[in-house]
Amino acid sequence: MKLTVKRDALLEALTQVQSVVSTRSTIPVLANVLLRADAGKLMLVTTDLEVSVSTEIPAEVATPGETTLPAKRLFSVIRELPPHEIELEVDAKSTASIRCGTAFFKIMGLSADDFPEVPQPEGEQVYTLEQAKLKHMIRCVQYATSVDETRYVLNGILFSFKEQRLTLVATDGRRLALYEEELEFPADHELDMVLPAKTVNELLRNLDSEGQVRLTAAGSQVVIEIEGMRIVSKLIDGNFPNYRQVIPGACEERIAFDRESLLTAVKRVSLVTNEQSNSIKLSFRENAVEIISSTPDIGEAREQVPVKYTGKEMSIAYNPEFLMAPLRVLASDEVYLELIDELSPGVLKSDTAFLYVIMPMRMQ
Amino acid sequence: MNAPTTILHVDMDAFFASVEQRDRPELRGKPVIVGGDPTKRGVVAAASYEARKFGVHSAMPTREAHRRCPDAIFVRGRMNVYKSVSRQVFAIFEDVTPMVQPVSVDEAFLDVTGALHLWGNDPVRIAEHIRTRIRKEVQLTASVGIAPNKFLAKLASDMNKPDGYTVVPRDAEAIRAFLAPLPVGRIWGVGKKTGDKLAGHGIHTIRDLQAANPKELTAWFGEHAARHLLALSQGLDDRPVHDREPEKSMSSEHTFGEDQTDPTVWRRILLEQSEEVGRRLRKAGLWSGCIHLKVRNDKFQTRTRQQTLAVPTRQDLEIYHAALALLEKTAPDRPIRLLGVGASHLTDTPVIPGPAQLDLFADTPPAQASDPAVLDRVIDQLRERYGDKAVQRAALARKPEEKE
Repeated sequence: MKLTVKRDALLEALTQVQSVVSTRSTIPVLANVLLRADAGKLMLVTTDLEVSVSTEIPAEVATPGETTLPAKRLFSVIRELPPHEIELEVDAKSTASIRCGTAFFKIMGLSADDFPEVPQPEGEQVYTLEQAKLKHMIRCVQYATSVDETRYVLNGILFSFKEQRLTLVATDGRRLALYEEELEFPADHELDMVLPAKTVNELLRNLDSEGQVRLTAAGSQVVIEIEGMRIVSKLIDGNFPNYRQVIPGACEERIAFDRESLLTAVKRVSLVTNEQSNSIKLSFRENAVEIISSTPDIGEAREQVPVKYTGKEMSIAYNPEFLMAPLRVLASDEVYLELIDELSPGVLKSDTAFLYVIMPMRMQ
Repeated sequence: MNAPTTILHVDMDAFFASVEQRDRPELRGKPVIVGGDPTKRGVVAAASYEARKFGVHSAMPTREAHRRCPDAIFVRGRMNVYKSVSRQVFAIFEDVTPMVQPVSVDEAFLDVTGALHLWGNDPVRIAEHIRTRIRKEVQLTASVGIAPNKFLAKLASDMNKPDGYTVVPRDAEAIRAFLAPLPVGRIWGVGKKTGDKLAGHGIHTIRDLQAANPKELTAWFGEHAARHLLALSQGLDDRPVHDREPEKSMSSEHTFGEDQTDPTVWRRILLEQSEEVGRRLRKAGLWSGCIHLKVRNDKFQTRTRQQTLAVPTRQDLEIYHAALALLEKTAPDRPIRLLGVGASHLTDTPVIPGPAQLDLFADTPPAQASDPAVLDRVIDQLRERYGDKAVQRAALARKPEEKE
């Protein structure tokens, strides 16, 4: 295999694919990127057997062929090279010679024969979305994804295509984030799929502020196409819990907050919590809410946030992180907290199609 | 008639330094510092009383000790000698009572309550007997504190040092008066941090603490610490003398018949080891705050990893999940020969749960059919009664023909 490629194009391609690579895999070839040179183009592929990412860049190919090279190493070498043409030549022993300007590198690779076959699933259900819109939707729900491996089905984000809408849902069983947008697709394309957290991360990294992204449902897999790159991933197998039934219907109190001031107050007050006692209290009185934390052996903090409130007096405890996470990613100036009582789920809403259910903590 | 609880705290005087002066007459009466070379990095392990007059104390950097006492003779420590002397001294304690709790090589608590009647109910006779034997048999001196509990005994042994003894009165009022003038730093558990915090609230002596408002103390330190401080300020301490070292850790290991490369087998063994550790924790009435993993590969390279837990546990599955996460972190790239799971940071007090996070899906069909703690207990009972194989997790069940 022998080819010439522009350094900037190669670096960009490696940036797209290298994060999938696991540095501590038991299978050595999975630490490598597959390079496949064909007429006029170079294809790069990485995989961890769950997710694979591939992309193509133009190249002057003298001799077609394929090989695999250590992804992180290659990435750090190419990153430091000057922005010129790179000559890449690979011998029969999978050793690559890289020339760029006056620099020369020899890097040991592994045979492409050892690299797992790149899946090419096909599917009928194709959805086309604006990249910017999907990016915002994902960011608004992603943080609520569960990291508890015993709740496997929650280790991802639900993409629900129903009634001309796309609904993204993430939950860890203690809070739930949901974002809904209208989307056109044929009526027989209605389906639910759960994308693993890692896949969502890869997707998010590669979403831009313009252009489109194509999602294709292909049985137990999903294919995501952004410009020239492709992510193929397994879907999480299992039934996502019925999230509609945990969203409270009616509420007793609806309180409007300035998002920024609520966020900064919670952030400050949470500074005197610790792992064992990770809670803050929202104490509602007439036209005021006081945010309070009190931790044995550490201290206490309180801060008032002005609100319009005429309801009953009550104190609700929350995990401060659960309260701050949505406030950080929302764009709107005002948010609304809908409450029932001390032990019922509260709902945080904004002026978009976003909704966040948060379970309180029971005070001992 | 039951004798009142009587505890002795026996503390050897400047132990390492005294051993050196005993063995090398030319050092007697001179400032002797045991520890490394004063021109190099290191700390003082022990200082003779002659050196202490210059403000030298143990754990001080040797350079600083040299600056304070330029005439001091620096001696390299001979740990083996100290250990063998220590064994002789402890043999003397064991002759008096089996209830001996070593604190370090040169100090111990002795519960002499049961032995008192042999000594005319006079603990001072026991203390003097011990001191005399130590002087005769190892030619060293010791100081003894005699008190109704460990906290007071330890305070007392320090009061007539070197070569003396102190008896703490039994009467509650007298104990209060005995403690009153001492600085709060003398209280067990009060280090620099708590000391500074107390000083910030105007509490400098134990007398100040005796007079402190319990409610205020609770607000400053939390309920547990406040109760601890108040009790000790009154001289109350009910910690027993442990005649044997309480267990510091427990672990379970498995060596594979053949080096294993299959992660499923690794996980199964890890679960078995976790169950074993969990069972022993529950049997001992302990919780563990730190889970350890030991992995040895076919090249005999051994790696250990540990994970501190936010909340101490004694549950099989919690131990397993911590161990499994550690195994994933070590990312074994070679066949495994041995796998072990361990538990340390053992405590006999479960953590009082803080505010409990409620679950969104709690009303929907339960994700977990039962409380894992209850499951562990039931499994323990079944195994106790019908043998270890009476009940097994499905993940560990094997077909009859399968062998490890």
